[in-house]
Amino acid sequence: MLSLSARTHGDTVDINGVVAGDEVATGIPGDRALLAFAEVCLGEDAAAIAGARGQVMEELGEAAMVDAACIVANFQRMVRIADGTGIPLDPQMAAVTAGLRKDLGINGYSAASLTPEPGWAARLLARLMKPFLPAMMRRRTAPQKG
Amino acid sequence: MSFDYTGSAYAIRDDIPDAHREIWRNIGQPGNWWRGEDRVAFVEESRNARSCRACEKRAAALSPEGDFGPHHTTTNLPELVVDIVHRLTTDPARLSRTWLDKVNAGGITDEAYVEILGVVVAAISIDALHRALGLPLEPLPVPVAGKPSGYRPPGAADSGAWVHTVQPENASEAEADLYPGGRAGNVISAMSLVPDSVRMLKTLSRSHYLPMRCIMTPGDNAGRAISRNQIELVAGRISSLSDCFY
Repeated sequence: MLSLSARTHGDTVDINGVVAGDEVATGIPGDRALLAFAEVCLGEDAAAIAGARGQVMEELGEAAMVDAACIVANFQRMVRIADGTGIPLDPQMAAVTAGLRKDLGINGYSAASLTPEPGWAARLLARLMKPFLPAMMRRRTAPQKG
Repeated sequence: MSFDYTGSAYAIRDDIPDAHREIWRNIGQPGNWWRGEDRVAFVEESRNARSCRACEKRAAALSPEGDFGPHHTTTNLPELVVDIVHRLTTDPARLSRTWLDKVNAGGITDEAYVEILGVVVAAISIDALHRALGLPLEPLPVPVAGKPSGYRPPGAADSGAWVHTVQPENASEAEADLYPGGRAGNVISAMSLVPDSVRMLKTLSRSHYLPMRCIMTPGDNAGRAISRNQIELVAGRISSLSDCFY
């Protein structure tokens, strides 16, 4: 989703920061503070969390810090749902992200075996469709109400 | 009033405590397979897991299988259920189909397991937000007496996950609200064997992440104070640090 979001805005983003953490300058404003905040929130060190929280507030503001904390909370839920039910990646997503997953090295995660690697035809189709994905995804969800 | 954030050092959107109250109410109610008091105990055990020596040893071990001693527990839940809750809390990336088979062999059906999962992940998420904001944890939900409904959605079937799910095309009228657009990613339908687990997921996602209508629209941040790129950076980092492939 980060890759798609960046492409939609025409932003240049190094998504390696997702895996490498704050060693990588992603090009996203406040990236190091956000990544550090995300990291310490998975631990138990309340002082470290407070420090990282303060850094996000200093760089991006209080409302941004609260929203970032919400994302941290949300994805601690989502990862457990995925891990706890053994769901495979959705086929379209698997095809579109095949190269990305290889580049980021996340195919080594244990749950990767739940998702069959897409064949060459699916990968080719995904590559051809890639420029149109943001518009396709918008269309796919247009009737939904949140 | 529960989830009263008026004394917080930070301004917190009103939809957040509203969502949390709805979840806490739901957890206290009898579910499909567990009583309200069991569901509240799942939350208590999830909190216990964070200071559980056995969980700490297991997390440090090369394999999650083995004897790491008794869990730190303060509830009357069966040992197997305590273990399920603690694993979901502290070592989720190493769960496996083989492990779930053993859970089933121990008498916990997939349906009962998914209900545990739904309660635990909702509570973990709310507690995680409190920790991130330096807030004290909310007192446990108040359990409501009553029997579990025993409801299994009729459209549940094998869709490639470890547990049966209700795919949008198989949703009966009772589950039609789960997929208003007629489609859903696997992570949304993953817990549909217990439909209220999906409802809780959607309630929390709406306030913690994004409304469903925005999720698949790249660049849409639903008016949050951080951009969609910043949102997905944090989301991706949490997933990566948690060794989550999905």
